[in-house]
Amino acid sequence: MVHISDGVLSLPVLAAGWAITIALIAITLWWSKRKGSIVEEIPKLSVMTAAFFVASLIHIAIGPTSVHLILSGLVGVILGILAYPAIFIGLILQAFLFGHGGVTVLGVNTIDMGIPALVAYGIFKAGNKLIPSESLTSKAGLLGALTGGIAVALAVSLTAGMLYTLGKEYTWAIKALIIYHIPIIVIEAIIVGSVVAFLVKVKPELIGSLGGEKE
Amino acid sequence: MKAKLVFAVFAMLLVLSCLSISGVSAHRLHVVHKISKIEIEAYFGGGTPCRDADVKVYDKEGNLYMDGVTDDEGKFSFPPKIGVDNYTVVIDAVHMPGHKAEAVINLSQEAAGASAGGMGTEMPLYMRAIAGFGYLIGLAGAALAYTGWKLKKKYENL
Repeated sequence: MVHISDGVLSLPVLAAGWAITIALIAITLWWSKRKGSIVEEIPKLSVMTAAFFVASLIHIAIGPTSVHLILSGLVGVILGILAYPAIFIGLILQAFLFGHGGVTVLGVNTIDMGIPALVAYGIFKAGNKLIPSESLTSKAGLLGALTGGIAVALAVSLTAGMLYTLGKEYTWAIKALIIYHIPIIVIEAIIVGSVVAFLVKVKPELIGSLGGEKE
Repeated sequence: MKAKLVFAVFAMLLVLSCLSISGVSAHRLHVVHKISKIEIEAYFGGGTPCRDADVKVYDKEGNLYMDGVTDDEGKFSFPPKIGVDNYTVVIDAVHMPGHKAEAVINLSQEAAGASAGGMGTEMPLYMRAIAGFGYLIGLAGAALAYTGWKLKKKYENL
């Protein structure tokens, strides 16, 4: 539902979406290359992209519609800024194989789901540094749950914002979009929280935003 | 007496001819035809029917011909207009903002393609998911091959 289809948005919005997405992919790739080699990140990158790709198949029927998981929060926390290109690739595959979204709207959809991933990464990293806590596992778990929920809320808000450019007739549709995603916010908070808590315990080096911190 | 006989023969002939007329008409086979509807079905990837979606049917010139909403099974039917064999159906899933699809129905070529767009011929979802994993493994492999080749070059130059 957060995927916007072809032929809905206006041309300037689509063009702006592509411009921002291409710029962000270039910046994130350049930045992570500067920080170090991407080679070690490649397997992790593809696993997370695969998780993001199939998450959209997990549907939850709510009222007349069905909403699906997004997982951009988890992708952000684990991959860091590389989440943006990962989500772009995931969305290409979803568009061609599942018919989620479309080709011309790839730019806009990557913004809608990629920016929340970057924000989730930022919050998780800052939170881990700022909050002093004895147990890294519970702290990371709680932060994971928080960022997982925030990422969905932000993805929905961005999608709503894109639809808002279409005018008043979409107002009630935007309301529906927001209301139907409240359960998804809760579910993803639980998923991201437990996955992050588990990973911190067994393999903390997998979480990019921890910056090598170990318990 | 003779007149009575002639009358009786005429009466019998009349009865027989009446019987024969009704007999023939009772076995006449009538063929009439009615073109009732074109049925469309809308569903999301994975097979969930697209309920309560706005449907708009346009003719070849782009004029709105009919509109309505899909039922609980994601179906919508409309009667075709005689002489018009090309329709464009636009489905807008208003409950799922941003989900919109379009299909072109061409009646003159429909015989072969009527079921081509149906669910039966679609690649099953798990197959498409596996295909996606395949692409990702391929991409990762290509990226690793490229970085490996670059590393090799770096060490050869040392």
